Formats: sequence, C-alpha cells, structure tokens
Amino acid sequence: MVSANASTAEPMGKRSKRAAPTMAGSKAERRFAFLFVMPAVLLVLVFRIIPLIWGFFLSLTDWRGLGEANFIGIGNYQQMVGDPNFQASMVNTFVLLATLPIWIMLPMLLAILIHQGVPGGKLFRAVYFFPAVLSSVIVGSIFNVVLRYDGSFNALLGMFGINAVDWLGDSNTALFSLIGVQLWATFGMSLLIFLAGLSTVPKEMLEAARLDGAKLWQIWVFVIIPSLRPIIEFVAVVTTIGVLTNMFGLIYVLTAGGPGTATTLPEFLIWLEQGRLNRPGYAAAISMVLFAFMAGIAYLQIRIMSRNANL
Amino acid sequence: MRTTLLTSAALVFAVASPAFAQTITVWDWKSGDPVATSYFQQAKTEFEAAHPGVTINYVMQPNDQYYTILGTALASGAGPDVFLLNGGAQARARFEALTDVTALGENLVGTEEFANEDGTLHALPITMQGFIVYYNKQRYAEAGLDPENPPQTWEELVAACEAITETGNVPCFSMGNREGFGGEFFLSSVAASSLTAEQHDAFANGELKWSSPEIMEILQAWVDTQDMGWYRQGANSTAKFMDEYEQFMRGDAANTIGLLSDVAHWKQFDDFLGAENVGVFRHPAPSLADGEVKIPVAGGIGYGVNNAGANVELATAFVEHLASAGPIQTFVNDAGVVPANTTVDTSSLSSPSVVAILEWLEPYGAPMAHSNTTADELSEWHRQSQLLLNGDVTVEEAAARMDEVQAQAHSGN
Repeated sequence: MVSANASTAEPMGKRSKRAAPTMAGSKAERRFAFLFVMPAVLLVLVFRIIPLIWGFFLSLTDWRGLGEANFIGIGNYQQMVGDPNFQASMVNTFVLLATLPIWIMLPMLLAILIHQGVPGGKLFRAVYFFPAVLSSVIVGSIFNVVLRYDGSFNALLGMFGINAVDWLGDSNTALFSLIGVQLWATFGMSLLIFLAGLSTVPKEMLEAARLDGAKLWQIWVFVIIPSLRPIIEFVAVVTTIGVLTNMFGLIYVLTAGGPGTATTLPEFLIWLEQGRLNRPGYAAAISMVLFAFMAGIAYLQIRIMSRNANL
Repeated sequence: MRTTLLTSAALVFAVASPAFAQTITVWDWKSGDPVATSYFQQAKTEFEAAHPGVTINYVMQPNDQYYTILGTALASGAGPDVFLLNGGAQARARFEALTDVTALGENLVGTEEFANEDGTLHALPITMQGFIVYYNKQRYAEAGLDPENPPQTWEELVAACEAITETGNVPCFSMGNREGFGGEFFLSSVAASSLTAEQHDAFANGELKWSSPEIMEILQAWVDTQDMGWYRQGANSTAKFMDEYEQFMRGDAANTIGLLSDVAHWKQFDDFLGAENVGVFRHPAPSLADGEVKIPVAGGIGYGVNNAGANVELATAFVEHLASAGPIQTFVNDAGVVPANTTVDTSSLSSPSVVAILEWLEPYGAPMAHSNTTADELSEWHRQSQLLLNGDVTVEEAAARMDEVQAQAHSGN
C-alpha cells in the first residue's frame, strides 16, 4: 500500500522529475509547507491586515477617542478635500517626490566612484554610512544647532559675506532644509546597496568595454548604470516609502511642521490630528489616503522600471 | 472536604484581597522632575500610611507624547486610575472619561479650567498658571532705563523696547515660536487686558470672532512687535521650551513672557540671574478694556479620576489628597508653584518677583484666552502666528482663516 506520506520519503531528484514545476509535492507536503508559512501569515494578518481593515472602518467614523463612534461614511474624506492643512501636506509631498532623482543619483554616483577605486574609498564609505546608524532625534538635535539662525552654518556663510538665513523658520527654506538633513542622514544606506549591486557587474564586461576603447563616461552610461537597473528600481521604491513615512522624527524635532504648514507632511498631520486634536477617525482617513498614495507610487515606479528594462 | 476548604479559602481570599492589596496607578509627566519629587513622595507616603494595603504607583509619561499615550489608553479601556491634565482644552476633551469631583472643590481656585458648562468639576487643580513678563534689570540699566520702574503701559513698553533695541546688545524679548507657543502666550497676555469679561466669554463660546476689532488688534500688535524688532531673527525656529528661556537666563534678552509655575518661572530665573536682577511686570496691551493692565491666570494642572478605573472610590480619595494643603505646601516650598488651594500658606515664597505676582493675582487676574479656545483654533493659531511673523499672510488673511476654524470647531464638526 502506498500512503500519501510515502512520496515525502522519495529522493528529491526523483520526485522533481515527476512533479509539475508549478505545484510541487503532494497534499501532505503542501500541508507541511503551510505549517512553516503559518507563523508569518499569522503575523501579517494580526499586525498588518487586521489593523489596516480596522483603520479603514475607523476612517468612516467621527470617533474622537472617547465615547461612541458614529458612522459618517466618506465624511472624513470629504472634509479632507477642503482641509488646507491636508492640501499643504500633499503639496509638500509632491515637492519631496520631485527631489527623488537626487536621492537616487547622489548615492549611485558616489558608489560608482568608490567602486572605481578612488583613493580612500573605504574611508568615504564608512563616513557616508555613519549617519545612517543615528536616530532621527539625534540627527535633528545636531542640525538644530547647525541650522538655527545663530548656528554654525550661518556663521560659516558669514565668513564668506553671505547673510544669515533662518533655514528652519523661513517658509521658503524650511522644507528644503529638512530634505537636505534627511538626505544627509540616509543616503549612506542607498550607497551601500549600490555598492553591493556594483559588485555583481561582471568585471569581464567592464574589461571588454575598456578594450573596445570606451571612455569612462561611456562605461558608466552604457555598462554600469544599465546593469544597476534592478538596484535603482529597488532604491527608488524604498526611498519613496522612506521619505514619506520616516521623516516624522526630523519634523518633530526641527520644525514641528512649521512655519505654518511649510514642513507638514501627511504623517505629521496624522499624528497631530490623532494625538493633539483627538480625531482618530479623521487621522485614520488621512492614513488610508497616504497608504493608497504610497502603494500607487510604488506600483507606478515598478511598472515604469520594468517597462524600461524590457526595451 | 479538603477541596471544599481550599475552595472556600480561595473565595475568601478573592473577596478580601482588594482590601489587602490595591494599587492606584497615577499617570503624569512630572513625578520624575527633581523639584517635584518631594510633593509626589509626600502624597504617596501619607496616603499609603492612612490606607494600609494600598500602593500608589506613579507612572511618568513623556511630556510631549502624554496626550497621545493617554488618549490611546483611555480609548482602549486601559487607562490609569488617576491622571494629570492641563486645564482648558486638554481637560475638556477628556471630561467624558472623568468622574464628577465637584464635592471636593472647596477651597480650590482655578476650577473653571476643569469644569463643564454646568459647573460640574472633573478634576481638582493643584496649581495656578498664568503669564507674566520677567525682565532682566541689568539689561534695562544698560539701555538707560530705570530697572525699578518697568513699563506700565503699551507706550512705555514700546519706548523701552526701542531703547533696548538701540543698544544693539540684546533683543527686547526672548521669543520662541517654533511650536507656535510664542503666539499663544502673546495672545493670552494681551487679551487679558484688552478684552472685557463678557468678550472673554464670547471668545470662548465662538461668538467673538477672530476678525472682530478686539482680536484683530491683538494680531496686529503681534505683527507690529515683530516689525519694531522686539524679537531676534529666528523666532520661528526657536523652541520656547527651553531655548527661549535659556536665552533669557543667559542674559541674552531683556524680557520674556514666562509662567507662574512651575517651570520657566521666577524661581528658575532667580537661580540663574539672581533674584535681585529679575523683575516682573504685567504685559501691557495697546488698549485696555477697563483701564487696568491684567495678567492671564487660570487653573494650571489638575488630577482627575478615570471613571472606568477599578478603584474609583480609592482613586478619588487619593486625588483629594493630592490637592490637599499638606502635600501642596511641600510643592509650594520646594518647587515654588502658585497653589490652587487657598488654604496653603505661601509666605515661604519670598522672592521679590513672586511676592509681586501673588499680590497681583486677585485684583488683576483675567481669563487665559488661549486655553478658552478650542484645540483646533489653538493649533491653527500656532500656524498663523508663524506666518504672520514671517510676513507670509496679512492680519486680515490670518483672521479670516481663524474665523473658518472657529466656526467649524463650534459647529461640532
């Protein structure tokens, strides 16, 4: 008698010849595999999916943290459309997204330079990566001193006869100051990812390009950068999500969302509405919009990158 | 038989155990502060001695995240038995979670900040809070001003600031408006004198608009003071707590709008500048509603009892003890707070600044305008005050936006 379990005892090579490539193993094997997957599925379900669904239902209520939550349908979403603070946070988000090429190009170019063997490359790599291990609160505290009106950056500019600027308190400079600080603090991680990607570019290909008489810039543009396409795609998606969800600490410490709404991003607004103004329902609605926005942007980025890769 | 005995013993223990061991959990953002430790410890020791088996467990939460953490805990039914609150909007937003402690309000002032419209008291204030202008006498002397005669009117204040600014050494006022608190303190300081009692009520009810002449005058004064160079550049990127006050304590500014208790107040400034170098005056206003310059005063912080707690009766007794004369006397002596309990002896407060403040409280006390607004208005005023300082909006534009927020907040949406 051949039991269902018998197949599990078969040598892998033998079984793989018989099994369809898309449906590996018997029912018992699949059940066994499911046991391995279960903990991860449960974690995702309990800590991701259920809160997401709960958050969506919360966004349809006028709950203010205490008492009854009344169902108001899309009321919060309608209010959001006319809310100048939400509108400002979205404009700031688009300004932030417009700077994305810098977030990708800067670490990529530096990684290529280090990979090409510039003198002191290892030191540069360590120095660039160092801020990535600091918490945003520490980074914020450092730049509070550096960027304040009577801070060291203005003192440095003063040595060149340049007038002091209130980098964090002026509506025209505050957001770009934050972007600069966040870029300084995080690009080391992208740089490391690019360096890892560069190590996979076949040396033979670079050597062949050199032998064919390609100039340095041609090697970069026609050999190295195309080879890095999957890495660029990955860094683009991760950076997009990062800048939209990981700047709270810096905003909190450096500008508190101001002046006015100049540095208010949706995540800061969510915190403000939930924690300070006791509107968890409205905060949940903004969270849903931010979630959908980020998912949409990431999807678009992957589609565009994939399409280019097929060209 | 043995099983029956064991079961009976377990039941007896289960019933009796609350009498033997009960813990009252108290949340605040102050119990770890060295200057407040003696107050908290005394309240705990005395209460535990009077209630054998009861343990008071203070849990200090981070100040800047306090209401976020508290809100989440209350919403999930896991809140503490007793919690500390700021008077005004933050207290009002949590009345639903608090028991009625009206019967315990005798001998307390500043209760309006913790009571709803029908007068039901939901928390017992332990301190009084308010704003006063502290000034550095040395900086006044350097500017050719009489250090013993600070400005009494708006015109005198303008002239004094002009003299101080002309020295080129320090700004007239140390100002921190990164979170909008500078605008908040200014609003209440000026409104105290420029609004009548009826107008204060109307402003609190949303009937006196931000675009009314009375409030517009305050917004205009905020812009004028900036234009007159009262503040150092960078006010919108300076934190009030504590960058602004550190600037004043270093002697790098002539004036600051400070608090009555229990931080950024006379005691802290005396320690740094010397009591003889610190003076106080009531913040003048461009126009006075009834001819007097007043100071905004209200209940500062207070304790309430969570109505969903397991030990409401015991928690209420502890809140009563926290607000009682014994522990508060220690809080006054050691931290220099202005007590909400009128039976507390304040004679231990001998600094010239606080002596003057205590004399002014009764005749010149006025409502604190900012804490009578809704949380939404206050949040928007933080933004608009920054935009006004930067010249990004006009007074009319700021007032119009504030009107919108005020109308929406009072419509209940």
